Amino acid sequence: MNVTSPIALAAINVGVTIDDKAILRDICFAANSGEFVGIIGPNGAGKSTLLRGLRGMGAITSGTVEVFGRPLHTLGDKQLARSIAYMQQDVNVGFGFNALEVVLAGRYPYLKWWQNEQSEDYEIARKYMAFTGVEALAEKSVQQVSGGERQRILLAKVLAQETPLIFLDEPTASLDLGYQEEIFRHCQVMCQEGKTVLIIAHDIKLAAKFCTRLILLAGGTILADGRPEQVITAKNLEKAYGLHSDVFINKVTGNLDIHTYEAAGTTTRQPSVHVVGGGGTAGNILRLLHERSYNLSGGVFQQGDSDADVAMAFGIQAIVGQPFCIIDKVQARENREKMLAADVTVLSNLYYGQQNLDNLAAAFVAKKVIIIEDTAIEERDFTGGKATKLYRELRTLPQVTVLSSVQFAEQVVTGESL
Amino acid sequence: MIGRVKNKAMLFSGLGVLLLVVLVCSLAWGQVTVPISATLTVIGQQLHLPGMQGSDISQEYTSVIWHIRMPRTLVGLLVGAALAVSGAVMQGVFGNSLADPGIIGVSSGAALGAVIAIALGMTAKGIFYLPFFALLGALLAVGVTVTLAMRDGKIPVMVLLLAGVAISMLMGALTSGILTFINEYRLREFLFWTVGGLDYRRWEHVYLAAGPVIIGILILFLLARHLNILVLGDQEARSVGVPVAFLRLVLLFVSAVTTATAVCVSGTIGFVGLVVPHIMRLLLGPEHRTLLPACALAGGIFLVACDTLGRLLMPPSEIRVGIMTALLGAPYFLYLLRKAQKGGGLS
Repeated sequence: MNVTSPIALAAINVGVTIDDKAILRDICFAANSGEFVGIIGPNGAGKSTLLRGLRGMGAITSGTVEVFGRPLHTLGDKQLARSIAYMQQDVNVGFGFNALEVVLAGRYPYLKWWQNEQSEDYEIARKYMAFTGVEALAEKSVQQVSGGERQRILLAKVLAQETPLIFLDEPTASLDLGYQEEIFRHCQVMCQEGKTVLIIAHDIKLAAKFCTRLILLAGGTILADGRPEQVITAKNLEKAYGLHSDVFINKVTGNLDIHTYEAAGTTTRQPSVHVVGGGGTAGNILRLLHERSYNLSGGVFQQGDSDADVAMAFGIQAIVGQPFCIIDKVQARENREKMLAADVTVLSNLYYGQQNLDNLAAAFVAKKVIIIEDTAIEERDFTGGKATKLYRELRTLPQVTVLSSVQFAEQVVTGESL
Repeated sequence: MIGRVKNKAMLFSGLGVLLLVVLVCSLAWGQVTVPISATLTVIGQQLHLPGMQGSDISQEYTSVIWHIRMPRTLVGLLVGAALAVSGAVMQGVFGNSLADPGIIGVSSGAALGAVIAIALGMTAKGIFYLPFFALLGALLAVGVTVTLAMRDGKIPVMVLLLAGVAISMLMGALTSGILTFINEYRLREFLFWTVGGLDYRRWEHVYLAAGPVIIGILILFLLARHLNILVLGDQEARSVGVPVAFLRLVLLFVSAVTTATAVCVSGTIGFVGLVVPHIMRLLLGPEHRTLLPACALAGGIFLVACDTLGRLLMPPSEIRVGIMTALLGAPYFLYLLRKAQKGGGLS
């Protein structure tokens, strides 16, 4: 096999039409050696059809597929099987073949038709079974192993084919979380060794975590193609899945994370709300209102504060100050401007110190204030009584309503106007 | 569930010993019981082994053993092996352990061929006409079934199965149609043919069947490794480069010819192709490179044993071997069905 061409796999204007219905159209991409490509997309987007077409198992009605620069149809059955290994969805291994026998099937393309497997083939099969951790199951019937073990046996079979290209059609479907990650991790190792892996993945987050590249398929065509963070955007997810979502880096895991929610059915413009918070007290408020499409702003939070992270994840404009510093003049002014501009200002169940006391002081300028009170102000006052005094004064104003966070959530969820 | 046998060599030597025992018994026992020593001597003499010629054996023993029982036993071995090996292959091709060669129309086609030969009075002209017509009928039925099922160079298993059922019914209707028009003695002749038997088989039958059956079985042995992969499923097989449609066609054709040859010398014999592969698979696992040879041995043993038993149970009359295999096979088959139901599936 000529491996000098750096492009392992190229799809050029690939289309599949079945019974006058275009399942896939204008699929164009090229994958290099070492790339770990995740194919994602909603059900019926044509992911499996694409993978089968690229493997030459399903008919492509237009365009061409090239493997290391050679058109797919010029390759013979066995030649193709030595170039691309393919693991289908839901393999049903009948008759109780044992694991070793199944893995040895991967050596088929290397044997002449009259040959039996050589000792070398057994070595290769055992090597990959060791790699996927199923060596001990060699003599066990594939019907008797668990779902995770079965997938790892089939993965070993695919690896025993020793192909530069590996296609996996949802190998992690119906697997426990640990096994799912394991399959991805094995693929990652293989890609680092120079193989090219195309994997259809249902779990976008997992795909984003491990794949070097994602191809988002929707409506039979490529909607986005690139690094995970380029492909997984709220806009793309909405287009592909019709999903309202926020995409952000989860600070706990360091991975790309997706928050999805049902969009509020309202078409009327929601009022604008400024949320005052900090120290993690505003996160829930922001999320509740964001999911209801309120026009939001927030502040003054502190850098590194989870409220600031929430605002960033949801793309909410927020005033963020330095940690452990007193709110400065610029921030104080900005905070008041936002309150004046907003229809409603929500004051979270905030803990007050010298640094953030101005958040409370600023609330006096707001047109309408909702105070969230879950804890008595005295317990939240670390200013020696100043906050308590201001707070009591604020509560007496006519434009102020006091709610517990539960009451507030109910009001937002039932769609009652704030 | 019987576990897989760990020592495959032991199983094969066991089958080998059993084969010899069954062989000698089938030659020695019957309406005329010949002492074992005399039986062995006759075989030795006929094979021109040194040191056997001196023994004094009656002419009667020689003709009973060598001209009556030997061809019968050999035909039994060939037919049993052919049916069991083809059965195992069919079960592999269809991915279902309840399949047998009859499923694609082999038996019904052979029956039609046989009834045509009988109706035309060909059987009186020579013993080869009936087998020849039966073979022709079987191949025709399989050919039509496969052609009907084939589309775009692919043979989907499900379509093949349904086409097989339809063709079998059609062939059955034609056979019945012809039967309503023919004489009673011919009807009787046909009836005897349908209930397969090994009586009155002569050396000519051995010569007729030996070639196609042995060659067919050897080809199937050679394709065993490919069959292993095919059993994993179409997609799996294609993904490792198996020419699925071509392989399936070859397997169907070879096992059909092998079965048809067997059926045409013995008449239709049921359950051998179903039960023997099933037991062997339980003992050896699905690896066809060991499964098929084991089926060949066990099929021959089972059929000859059934035939011998049929001769001994109700002397002086004989129970035809087709009835014996059904009497032994049907209960076992039903037992398997019950077990499959309990297990929650028929796979």
